Amino acid sequence: MHWVEGKTVAAGRRFAIRLPARRLFFRACLVAWGLFGSALAGGQETAASPALVFGQSAALTGPASELGTGMRQGLLAAFEEVNRSGGLDGRQLSLVTLDDAYEPEAAIANTRTLIEEIKALALIGAVGTPTSRAAQPVAAEAGRPYIAPFTGAEFLREAELRPNVINVRASYFQETAEIVARLTADLGLTRIGIFYQDDSYGRAGLQGLRLALEVHDLPLVAEAAYPRNTESVKVPLLDLRRFQPEAVVIIGAYQPAAALIRWARRLQFNPRFVNISFVGSSALARELGPDGEGVYITQVVPFPADGSVPVVDRYRRALRLVAPEAAPGFVSLEGYLAGRLLIEGVRRAGAEVSPAALLEALRRTSTLDFGGFELSYGPADNQGSDRVYLTRIDANGEVRPVVRMGGG
Amino acid sequence: MSEPEANSSPQSLAIREAQAAVQQPAGRRLGIAPQIYLGLMGSVVLVLLASFVAYFFLNEIVEQQYRLAERSIPNLSRTVEVARRSASLVNAAARMVSAGSVDEHARVSLEVREERDQLVALVEELAAGATLRDHAYLLEARLESSWSLLDQVYESSGRRLEIQRSLERLVDELAEVNRRMQRSIGAAIDDQGFFLVEGLRDLGDRRRPLAERASDSELAYYRDLIDIGQQANLGGSLLGEALSLSDRDLMEPLAERFHSATQSLRRSLQRMATHTPNEALQSMGGRLIEIGEAEEGIFPLRREFLERLAQERQALAAGRDASAGLLSDMEKLVAQVNQEAVNVNAESQAAASTGIGLLAVLNVMSIGGAFLIGWLFVGRHLLHRLVALAAAMRDMAGGDLEAPVAVSGNDEVTDMANALEVFRRYALEVQRLNLVEKLAKELEDKNQALEQTLERLNQAQEQMVAEEKLASLGKLTAGVAHEIKNPLNFVRNFAELSAELVDEIGEVIDESAQDNSDLAEEITEILADLKVNLGKVGEHCGRADGIVHSMLEHSRASPGDWRETDLNALLKQYMELAYHAMRGENQDFNASLSVDLDEEVGMVEVVPQDLSRAFLNILTNAFQAMEEKSEKVGEDYAAELRIASRRLEDGVEFSIRDNGPGIPDDLRERMFEPFVTTKDTGKGTGLGLSLTVDIITRHGGAITLDSELGAYTEMRIRLPLKPAAALEEVAHGK
Repeated sequence: MHWVEGKTVAAGRRFAIRLPARRLFFRACLVAWGLFGSALAGGQETAASPALVFGQSAALTGPASELGTGMRQGLLAAFEEVNRSGGLDGRQLSLVTLDDAYEPEAAIANTRTLIEEIKALALIGAVGTPTSRAAQPVAAEAGRPYIAPFTGAEFLREAELRPNVINVRASYFQETAEIVARLTADLGLTRIGIFYQDDSYGRAGLQGLRLALEVHDLPLVAEAAYPRNTESVKVPLLDLRRFQPEAVVIIGAYQPAAALIRWARRLQFNPRFVNISFVGSSALARELGPDGEGVYITQVVPFPADGSVPVVDRYRRALRLVAPEAAPGFVSLEGYLAGRLLIEGVRRAGAEVSPAALLEALRRTSTLDFGGFELSYGPADNQGSDRVYLTRIDANGEVRPVVRMGGG
Repeated sequence: MSEPEANSSPQSLAIREAQAAVQQPAGRRLGIAPQIYLGLMGSVVLVLLASFVAYFFLNEIVEQQYRLAERSIPNLSRTVEVARRSASLVNAAARMVSAGSVDEHARVSLEVREERDQLVALVEELAAGATLRDHAYLLEARLESSWSLLDQVYESSGRRLEIQRSLERLVDELAEVNRRMQRSIGAAIDDQGFFLVEGLRDLGDRRRPLAERASDSELAYYRDLIDIGQQANLGGSLLGEALSLSDRDLMEPLAERFHSATQSLRRSLQRMATHTPNEALQSMGGRLIEIGEAEEGIFPLRREFLERLAQERQALAAGRDASAGLLSDMEKLVAQVNQEAVNVNAESQAAASTGIGLLAVLNVMSIGGAFLIGWLFVGRHLLHRLVALAAAMRDMAGGDLEAPVAVSGNDEVTDMANALEVFRRYALEVQRLNLVEKLAKELEDKNQALEQTLERLNQAQEQMVAEEKLASLGKLTAGVAHEIKNPLNFVRNFAELSAELVDEIGEVIDESAQDNSDLAEEITEILADLKVNLGKVGEHCGRADGIVHSMLEHSRASPGDWRETDLNALLKQYMELAYHAMRGENQDFNASLSVDLDEEVGMVEVVPQDLSRAFLNILTNAFQAMEEKSEKVGEDYAAELRIASRRLEDGVEFSIRDNGPGIPDDLRERMFEPFVTTKDTGKGTGLGLSLTVDIITRHGGAITLDSELGAYTEMRIRLPLKPAAALEEVAHGK
């Protein structure tokens, strides 16, 4: 289901003893995952001073696997950028990623492993709301920062209640608010329904949509849900169709979302489908193929193909270092931005960086301008960016940035 | 000091007695060492006595303590241990029952087994002792029943835990199966529901007509799927209920309901298979039924689990009763053993307090005895006598030798006292001998003084005799001289007158004998001879007159004044005087003079007129002798006179040495007698040296002569620094 437990744990124990074992461990991980064989350029690591190790528990398999791998890629790109220039105070950055397959139980186990066995300095780039909801308290208990989870769930933005959390992206509430604003303002739509994943993620989107509709004094006309990690979307589609919504906001993963949209198209049921960022834009576009045209997706990071934005340009170059064959994407850009935030935090924490020092440095950070993407934090604000971008899948199945809905 | 034995005075007798007492102590005596040993032994015997009594009582206490330690304490501790372990055993069953896992159960069982073995061993030990045998047998019986209960609980709880483990595995599997079934069923229902409405299964399918999609078989399939979902859900929840059920009696109806549900599920699955075979769903459904109903399924296992639990509870209850009995037995046992220990302890304490009392008495006795020995023996007997001895020594050191040393007893102290007595008597004797010696010394001194006086008297006497002799000789001589002098003068005068007469005859002849010249000449010749003869008479008269004059001078020797005189100067002065006198007589005579005078001689009290005459006599003799030799020998001879003086210890010495002809041996002895002379007749009176000797003798000195014939003559004069008192007396007393 998730990572090859026995093997990696055994390697992890050896890891604590001596360095070659650690390299072996990395190799083992990489072989086990069968991914990014060249990503770490393993031999480059110097033995001079121990590397700074960070942990990531994310979906590397299952319906959300593209999100996990994307985040990982972005983080590695940011790390590689620094490591190539000599590391931080001569210390290399390294990332250990464990697969939780988007299941909360596995996320908890992984987070424990990363803290206790890997001695990760911080947890970064987790994917998903239910997994973060499960893993974040584990990190909090161990005093580890929980940085830039790939989710817009509102509970992670309660800075007082969860002081170890530092977010990069805008919240789901902001995404749904933007969606409703665009649907009403740009298209003049009033009949809006929802299709959501029947879990905390989906319900977070549901709540956000309800709040946004309340602002516009609009009812939620249709509501359908599907169980997580299934594609049982056909009967819910019938339920949606019964109420004939003009627009359906999808709070789900790309596979069920794609299934829903394709079946809707098959049934000639064509409301505006709007996804939020978590869906995974590239994967969704790929799954949908020609059926994807006109599907909107909100984004929380700039358009990754837009080299005119300085930070995006830098991201693209960094990504080429670790994965020359990989296409730039929203997820890996978010991962890169998360990595940049982390690096800045480590830099500010100083030479003797510790989890507490890192968290303190991150929490004291007020603004960070990466060049075209600005993060700003405050005492009660642990969310760096409030920006929501709108994209649309065009007839070629390409995701394109748009300023407003409608028009072609 | 003379040996005391040499005397036979009463003192030496006493010494000998005392010595005998020291050397041969009385036959039967007790030395100081034996006495002290005896005293110490007395103390030791007292202490030994005390120790013996102490030992006796300590032994008694030890015996008691031993009994306490050997029997009561081990019994007590064993009993307490048995009680502790019994109580622990009471809990053991409960601990086994409440063990949460097989591992924990195994560990607890092992502990319980060990405790049980130890308890059995302890009880056997108790049984081995005589006192608690009955209790031990009772205990063993009680424990036997506990063991069977414990075994029962052990077996049951072990099995129960295995069941629990199996159940946990089944629950996990059930959850997984349920999840997968729901997902599978959900997808199938979603699929079939959509098909019933839209006639589509896959995106690429052709839409089915209503008659086809709403056929009986499709509807039945849809119903079957829904049934399967429901029955599976029901089965799952019934199984969950069974797992949480604790009332065994409710198990049967629940199992019955589960059975109906599974029957229905089985039917639905079979029917579903006729429409669309779904292997996964089929096998999952089968598995669900198995999980519930198979021999090792949840229901049978849960049933057995509850049964075992009930059994264990019963066993526990029974065990609690047994434990209550066991504990009350234990309490009794502990109480008895405690009482026993208290009794033994009381005995031991009684023995201890008796021992302590006796020890106190013995201490008093030992200390008192030691004190008495110290006071009576050391104080009164030894120290008292030593103090007396010390006092006697102090007295003797202070010079009191008269008090006898008397110390009673018969030991080394007495020996010391006796030795001291010997010493005292010696000391007394020595004191007396010293006195005699002192007297003898005084006597000797007086004797010597007397002898000296006598000697001086003799000297004076000699001198007086000599002087008397001289005086009488002088008187005689003076008388003779006086008597002779007148006739001599008369002769001489008449000789001179005769000579003048001769001259007148001559003149007469000459005037008358011009014609008779021959006769005249003859007469003149005779007259010349006569005149010569008359000259001779005159000459010899002169000589006789000299002698008489000398004799008169001799007799005239009268004491001059004693004066401090520089004798060196005196001697030198008279040497020169004598030399000039000699040169006055003989111009040709020359002599070399050498002077070797000791300044140390200084002033000596003498009669200077006398001593100068003595020096002059000797010096004149020397010069005359050398002149004589010079006359004889002629030019070859070089006269030489040497004078010297020397300071002696008690006087002074002068020497006058010439290298004249020396004095023949036969003459040397008589040199100092009067009228002895070497000179030609007429040249010396022979009284010079005699007179000199007299002068020196009168000064208490002495004159010696040393000479070698033809070589030298040396006269040595010794004079005392001061004339002896006796001599002075004699000298001045005249």
